[in-house]
Amino acid sequence: MEKLSKLSEYKLTLIYALRDLSRNYKKISSIILTLFISLFILSSIFTIEDSLNKELNNNSRALLGGDIEIDYNRNIVNLDLINQVKEFATVSQMVEFSTMISTTDKTKNKSIFSRIKTVDKNYPLFGKVGYEPSGAFEKLQTTENTILVNENIFKNLNLKINDKIKVQDKLFTVIGIVKSVPDIGGAFVFGDFALAGKQTLELLKLNNLGSFLNYEYKVRFNEGDNPKALSKKIEQLFKDEKKVRLRYHEKSDGPLKRIIDNFSQFLSLVSISAMLIAGIGIANTLLSFINQNNMSIAVKKSLGFFSKDIKIVYYLQLLILLFVISTAAYSFSFFLVPIVDVYLSAGLGLNIEGSFSILNYFKVFSVGLLVLIIFSIPTINAIDQVKASNLFRNVFQNLQFYYSKKSIFLSLFLLSVLISLFTIGSARPIYSLGYFGAFFICLLVFYLLSNLIIKLFKGLKEHPNISIKVSVKNITQTKSITPITIMSLGLGVTLLLTLAFVGSNFKREIAKSIPELAPDYFFIGIQSDERQIFEDLIFDMDKEANLEIVPMVSTGIVKINGIDPKTYTASSNDSNWAIRNDRRSSWTDKVLKDNPIVEGKWWDLSRPDKLQISLDSKVAKDLNIKIGDIFTLNIYGREIEGEIINFRLVDYRDFTINFAMLLNPQFAKNIPHEYLATAKFKSLENFNEITLLDKMPSLSIIKITDYLEKVTDLLNKVFIAVTVISAITIVIGLIVISSAIIVQGKIKEFQNLIFKILGFSKVEVVLSSIIEFFIIFTSIILIALFFAVIGSQFIIENIFQITWMFDLAIFLKVTIGIGLATLVLIMITNFKYLSPKVYPLIRNQ
Amino acid sequence: MDSLLKLKNVNLKYQTGNDTIKVLKNINLETKKNESISIVGESGSGKTSLIMLAGGLEKVTSGKIFFEDQEISKMSEDEVSKIRRKNIGIVFQSFYLIPNYTAVENVALTLELNNLKNPNERAKELLDRFGLKNRFNNLPSQLSGGEQQRVAIARAIAMKPKLILADEPTGNLDSENSQMIADILFKYIKEEKSSLIMVTHDPKLANRAKRKIKIKDGKIV
Repeated sequence: MEKLSKLSEYKLTLIYALRDLSRNYKKISSIILTLFISLFILSSIFTIEDSLNKELNNNSRALLGGDIEIDYNRNIVNLDLINQVKEFATVSQMVEFSTMISTTDKTKNKSIFSRIKTVDKNYPLFGKVGYEPSGAFEKLQTTENTILVNENIFKNLNLKINDKIKVQDKLFTVIGIVKSVPDIGGAFVFGDFALAGKQTLELLKLNNLGSFLNYEYKVRFNEGDNPKALSKKIEQLFKDEKKVRLRYHEKSDGPLKRIIDNFSQFLSLVSISAMLIAGIGIANTLLSFINQNNMSIAVKKSLGFFSKDIKIVYYLQLLILLFVISTAAYSFSFFLVPIVDVYLSAGLGLNIEGSFSILNYFKVFSVGLLVLIIFSIPTINAIDQVKASNLFRNVFQNLQFYYSKKSIFLSLFLLSVLISLFTIGSARPIYSLGYFGAFFICLLVFYLLSNLIIKLFKGLKEHPNISIKVSVKNITQTKSITPITIMSLGLGVTLLLTLAFVGSNFKREIAKSIPELAPDYFFIGIQSDERQIFEDLIFDMDKEANLEIVPMVSTGIVKINGIDPKTYTASSNDSNWAIRNDRRSSWTDKVLKDNPIVEGKWWDLSRPDKLQISLDSKVAKDLNIKIGDIFTLNIYGREIEGEIINFRLVDYRDFTINFAMLLNPQFAKNIPHEYLATAKFKSLENFNEITLLDKMPSLSIIKITDYLEKVTDLLNKVFIAVTVISAITIVIGLIVISSAIIVQGKIKEFQNLIFKILGFSKVEVVLSSIIEFFIIFTSIILIALFFAVIGSQFIIENIFQITWMFDLAIFLKVTIGIGLATLVLIMITNFKYLSPKVYPLIRNQ
Repeated sequence: MDSLLKLKNVNLKYQTGNDTIKVLKNINLETKKNESISIVGESGSGKTSLIMLAGGLEKVTSGKIFFEDQEISKMSEDEVSKIRRKNIGIVFQSFYLIPNYTAVENVALTLELNNLKNPNERAKELLDRFGLKNRFNNLPSQLSGGEQQRVAIARAIAMKPKLILADEPTGNLDSENSQMIADILFKYIKEEKSSLIMVTHDPKLANRAKRKIKIKDGKIV
């Protein structure tokens, strides 16, 4: 007889795989569904992250505002050095400050706290400013006292083009609306802003502390010049300027990039968890599928098929399935890009476009392949357990996951490749690694728990109730699926609880009403000679107003124990903000009620001529500062050494006056200073901010509710993303649980048949399932809760940096919700096995 | 060389917990080419175990099994599979057709496994010979018991094996179908000069074989 060529043999194997797949796809629909959902999440994250990075990279110069940014922050600018840069490059000066903008119409007076960017005619060096009407931006530089405000200011102050507004005590004409500015990467701020010409600074005569003047110089190299050489030249020029920070467009490590990286990392880790949980579901479904094909496999073996050939056909089916699903998932992810674009363009002014990346597709396919292989190795290896001799006996043992030394080694190797893929190159590799560690510890604990439960129940005396007897037997029987169920259900519940806690903490942060103690307004920029005027004005408006006024001085940390703060700690340190730039500090002679001392002693009155410092305890902990350490502070150009003498617990979220550093009043009271105040009014209607601004034009007023609205808006967007991911994970979790039940399907069917023959009632059978579920579910809840608390606390405090709180209500809701959903699912899945048809089973059909 | 299959001092034991069950005890059996043997005996006597060993589907506890002078008892599972796929056809009492394969696909599977060209055409020829022309594309669930067993026999003889092992081939069939299946099997071994080892409880069928072996308590008596 004529033989086939080797190529035809391969073709035949492919035909087998395709034929089996086309006839069995309904039986593996849960594999298709879980794989699609998890790969879709992964694809979406990769696609959106890629689109965002492309947008950031393509527009890195525009986002920074130049090839290089020279940031003087709030320090005195060395104009000589800037002029030297101007000799070989174009320089644009930008000064930012926060102040009040108010209307001049006495009948509808309103004001708003805004950030004003004063720009010169070179601005922007890269990118474009979006504005209307046409010509307005050019007019800004040629006509004095003109301003462009953003849409929100325009709307909230009910402005019209050419209306007059007041900035401090000067009148400006609103000549247009600024829709977007390109340079949002370096100093991303959310909130209202306006653009004004360079001459504005001179007009307003701004020099006071409360104005928070921020000096930045953007540099554009001339075409044809060597950017690297010029960058070096600038570095050389500014090497002795300690207060200058140079930023490069190619090293986009600005706040915007950090936000995107952190959020991408969180979503990536959740998506890989969803994938790993889906992997358990895939393993379960595949095992159930192989069990259904037990006889066919035995027949093939009896015909002389090698185990290896049969396994190849199964692997090939999975590969074909993965190729189709990953292509579909990756393609569908592009539908999400326009939706995300709407959010991003509104929130950050970024416009993203989905672009096909073969590398991303390869990543999605590889992750899918790795997960699929890792989880299908023990399942497909179960084919080795199928014996052709079973055909003579009419007995088909339910197959179990099968691990050989070789397959364990291969699985571990592939798992480490998968972990490396997600760890290397992530924003915080240690977090990723820790997360994977926690995931597998969790898996191991649930496996040990299952063994413990089996052991415990085996040791129990038999119960007279038949339903309890059956459920205990089901849990403890040889080759029971209790470990699979506990691991799948345990991981699913843990992840759901973790996400629910993350979500509820977000929700709390969003819904959190202003604390009762919190003031209604913050007032910044009260000059020392204005204090009395300010107090009088406030009490004139409301005699019962609760007013708190504290002194404030600008302090820059020059050295920490003799070390430059720039090199003292990594820029990623949570408390780096406290030492990075100049900060405002205050002084008080009494311990503040909401700032209790946690270590050290209050001021040492015996040393009034020595500077003593009280520090935020979290900052101290993060920066490893000890009592007795020395800070060298720059106060009005003078370097003064101060000793850290105590740590305070500071909660910045209570909206009262909080400072990272407090100074001893005996020493500080002689330093020239201004004041910061908060006020809580008996009735808000009594307060008229326009009257206040008329008398004190340089004053900045921040309404707490306005500020909260902006934070809430941002958090709401994050919350939506977390909720969507949670919902998808819930679906995957439930599919996994259902797949764990399906694994039992054939056993259940036979078992129920026997029960039926023996005379069991349906109620007894159903009851035994409920008892079995109850035992398993209650045993995993406490462990799932433990891991979820640790996990969610870590995410909330370290990645999102908000306060974590345990939410009993959400725990009960989620637990009962998952419990009921799972029970219903179990009942539905078991229902079809409840009334088995006797004839086909007896006839082995 | 006339010997096709030779079992030499074969023993088979199963371990169940602490108990050892001796299924086959010191079996010596030689099958010549073109010989038909029927194995009879009570339930649990070891008949089926004997043909499982003969087909290389189970490992002996001790003793040797030779197929055409090759010792299959010491071969690996894959090595035995290689011999079985070309030389041994097996017919089961419960037919065991692959449920989601059509009649043609079930038969073609053996031919495809041996890399033969045009497997579907050859499978159709065989099925046609067995009176199943109108059942080519039917799934096993759409066939009667007799038809299923004819497909199973077509699958077993598709490669023209030297040995057919049949375990109660008519056990699940009525007398008319039993007769038809027996005729097909005996006609095949006569035409192709193959050998047949058949386990049966049916004395009429057992008597059609050239040699009849009785097994009792794991021993040939």
